[in-house]
Amino acid sequence: MKRSLVEILACPVCHGGLELKVEVEEGGEVITGSLHCPKCPADYPIEESIPNLLPPEKD
Amino acid sequence: MKETDIKKTVRENYARIATQGSSCCGATSSCCGNSTGLAENISKSVGYTDAEIASAPEGANLGLGCGNPVALASLKEGETVLDLGSGAGFDCFLAADRVGKRGKVIGVDMTPEMIEKARRNAAAGGYENVEFRMGEIENLPAADSSVDVIISNCVINLAPDKKKVFREAFRVLKPGGRLMVSDIVLTQELPDFIRSSVAAYVGCISGALLKPDYLEAVAAAGFRDIDVIDETVFPIDALANDPTAVAIAKTLDLTPEKISDLASTVLSIKVSGVKPG
Repeated sequence: MKRSLVEILACPVCHGGLELKVEVEEGGEVITGSLHCPKCPADYPIEESIPNLLPPEKD
Repeated sequence: MKETDIKKTVRENYARIATQGSSCCGATSSCCGNSTGLAENISKSVGYTDAEIASAPEGANLGLGCGNPVALASLKEGETVLDLGSGAGFDCFLAADRVGKRGKVIGVDMTPEMIEKARRNAAAGGYENVEFRMGEIENLPAADSSVDVIISNCVINLAPDKKKVFREAFRVLKPGGRLMVSDIVLTQELPDFIRSSVAAYVGCISGALLKPDYLEAVAAAGFRDIDVIDETVFPIDALANDPTAVAIAKTLDLTPEKISDLASTVLSIKVSGVKPG
């Protein structure tokens, strides 16, 4: 995932902005990390450069 | 069937397609032999040009859609495009060529195997302006008013809550942004025994709405200037080669006449709408 695309991203639940936490980055591409929604609060993982923004499973 | 069960079934089925290749290669089908050729034939029959089919990375075209070349043709350089249910990425790659380096294409799909396949295809094709993310089209992971064009190719029928999909599409579009989707709709209610079939749902048929209800859902979300750009009977060849359709025919003991009747009630439509500016 490219850093520049964070501005388009939003939490799938509250539609609020997300905070990017980078663990591994290669050439402007975030490979591993997470996107944090401070409002919900929820964490969405980024693995192999793909953010998983599926809404958290409801029990 | 419960909403969560539908999602689970759809995800499992498309995960299988992602790992096995073309939609032709389902477990119940024996039509394989030349699956790439079949996907290409289906794509041609729904309106893609030879050049478009050839330009996308190998494996990106699974021959699953009802085709949306009109939407692709409308894209302008620099636009931000969101593809609902991007699958292996075929339409995203064609869109990426249209919007160019200043544009962006984002594909959303809820099936991890499809996303993985799309990501590999993007890397193989060297696409810099395409990104994929795992998400649901009823809960789009995109900010309000952030996208110029929403495209979607034969996917919304699979969503349990279609009204919500259109509301979400409306929310993320910029004022003046447009919806350009193709989908399956019905001209009349399906017989109960087909409507209740899980296989038929996954094969894009029993989850489909009646055409007036579909257009009403688009309008209810707030879209204006709604236009049915094109409408064709769902390609019977695609249906006959679709493993899920073949499975339905087998399990329900359908005669070729019954299948042909069914096919005439299933339409592929291309719909456009605008979010008022």
